[in-house]
Amino acid sequence: MLDVAGRTASKRQPRLLLLRPGPPTLIRAAVIVVLLLFTLLALPQLLSAYYVDAMTQVAVYAMVALGLGVLVGRVGLVSLGQVAVLAIGAWSAARLLFATAQPFPVVLLEAGLVTMVLGTVLLLPALRLRGLYLALITLMLAGAVTIVLATLNFPNGGHGFTGYNGNQTHVPPIRRPSIATSDPAFFRYSVIVAAVMFALVAIHIRTRPGRAWAAIRQSEPAALATGINTTLYKLWAVALASFVTGVAGGVMAGAVHYLYSIDFPAYTSITILAVVLMGGAYSLWGAVVAGLLMQLLPALLQNWGVSNDWLTILFGIGVVQVLTTAPRGLADQFPKDMARLGRLLFRLVRRVRPVVAEQGETP
Amino acid sequence: MPSWQDFQPFIVTGLALGGVYALSGVGLVVLYQATGVVYLAFGAVGAMGALITWSLISVGVAHWLAWLVCVLFSGALTLAYGLVFGPLLARRTPLVKATTTLGLLLILYGAMDLLWTTSGGEVRSLTLPTDGGGFSITHIQITWTQVIGLAVGVVITAGTAAFLRYTKLGTAMRAMANDREITATLGVPVRRVEAAAWLGCGVLAGIAGLLLADMVALDATTLTFLVISSLAAALIARLRSVILTFLAALLVGLVQNMLVPIQSLTNYSNMAPFVLAALALLALSRRRVIALSREEV
Repeated sequence: MLDVAGRTASKRQPRLLLLRPGPPTLIRAAVIVVLLLFTLLALPQLLSAYYVDAMTQVAVYAMVALGLGVLVGRVGLVSLGQVAVLAIGAWSAARLLFATAQPFPVVLLEAGLVTMVLGTVLLLPALRLRGLYLALITLMLAGAVTIVLATLNFPNGGHGFTGYNGNQTHVPPIRRPSIATSDPAFFRYSVIVAAVMFALVAIHIRTRPGRAWAAIRQSEPAALATGINTTLYKLWAVALASFVTGVAGGVMAGAVHYLYSIDFPAYTSITILAVVLMGGAYSLWGAVVAGLLMQLLPALLQNWGVSNDWLTILFGIGVVQVLTTAPRGLADQFPKDMARLGRLLFRLVRRVRPVVAEQGETP
Repeated sequence: MPSWQDFQPFIVTGLALGGVYALSGVGLVVLYQATGVVYLAFGAVGAMGALITWSLISVGVAHWLAWLVCVLFSGALTLAYGLVFGPLLARRTPLVKATTTLGLLLILYGAMDLLWTTSGGEVRSLTLPTDGGGFSITHIQITWTQVIGLAVGVVITAGTAAFLRYTKLGTAMRAMANDREITATLGVPVRRVEAAAWLGCGVLAGIAGLLLADMVALDATTLTFLVISSLAAALIARLRSVILTFLAALLVGLVQNMLVPIQSLTNYSNMAPFVLAALALLALSRRRVIALSREEV
């Protein structure tokens, strides 16, 4: 288990989820709705084409981070191979989009399901392993998948199972849904898909599987003793994470039009884990932060003419910092720091509650 | 199916590569045993050392001095990391310790790409003087570097095994592998033993970086992620036995290279370490279903 919270957290008094002080549900929901409406309606108008593209990628990687967040933050399984899962999703979606005339959402669903089955089958035997060994085996499996994909190539409109034609001179672009062919429209489309995925995960967390995962993360033997089918729920988490990541791959295929295996280098998995840890694996907002770190920051830096390598270095420092001092990541830490600052500045305010640190992270 | 003749040169390269994998694998196993850290930045440290050596040689520093700098740099950097983060993370799970080294990997990787940028398409290479000479056995040309690769693997493995078995420091390391707390209670200077393990591992990273830069490629990405192949060997030995790591490394190197002449599998040859390690891990962990206290396989 990735007990990123470490010893400091375990000393805290356990508090019941329902009794946790936090902003009322209504305010929380209102904040989410306002943010979503702003993103959908205002953001594409405000941003240049360059940043609209970047924000579409943010939506994709927020979904990837969401999937990994389920594994790391909820069940305590660390996967170092998420980019391979994303690539499988993108590959399946691209193949289906070239081969059939199905509507885009159906293809997304199918790509998600294919990825879910493949991801689960690949990890099914590995679920006997725990912690470090599971993380390392995902690294190995991802390395293997990356090599297979590099040999297979991504579909470019050719025939046969692989759908790749090396001699093709004119490569047709991967199609987008007819209602969202322009870049801003596709950005809105991907945000809606991402919102659906976030809702799907949120429902899982608040219901039976979420409680089972929390129990497994605390102690697997104890969960087993209370009659939780640990294998089933772990598989469930893997399936959910793979599904979400597969859908993200499908959105990505539509967003970029052309896919190449070099777009999915194995080390991106490490970066994804880094941003998920930095964003905060215990909170759904962490996934949004992770998506922004992973895709918006590079776009900004490129615009400013700063090398992306600084970002890699920053992520490295971030991982070390998160694991040693701030186990819950930016989504949790930043509002707390701001709140502390607020308390310092305005002593009048008795209790400043962070608005976004809300998800039911267990102590 | 290619004939036996076609395989022969690949046996040589396979054994040489296997020797270097063994060297890296042994370093990883010893460090894991002594400190509980799987040092995923091993490859990155070696790569940076090799790139520094390349820079030094290109400005005219004597070759032997540049090699020495590579080994010393890797050793010092690893030791520094171990001294700072070893005690800080001593009580955390092996997974957290390993993930933290991924942070170091990212920092070094970013720094290497920044300092030795590859965007200009510049191809660097680091050649050891041992590449030129060599001898041949029944038409197979063998360079001295390949001999050194295998020999260093053998020597380091044998040396480490003997060191762990017969010296006081080695015994202390084995004790730490069993239980850090009890070892400390018995009066073993735990921190000092750990520091020794970090230093040793770093020095091995430097040597492996030099050899792999010559045998494979002097490229930050390639070298950084070659650690995964060496890790495969260490994993097959379940991060425990040094001798088993050596044998597994030879196997991984051989299989990886012997797949190359088989045409339908050429593209997949680099999968060999991953597949072998995954299979070995699964086979070895068939029984254990649940671990109660400390993290084991």
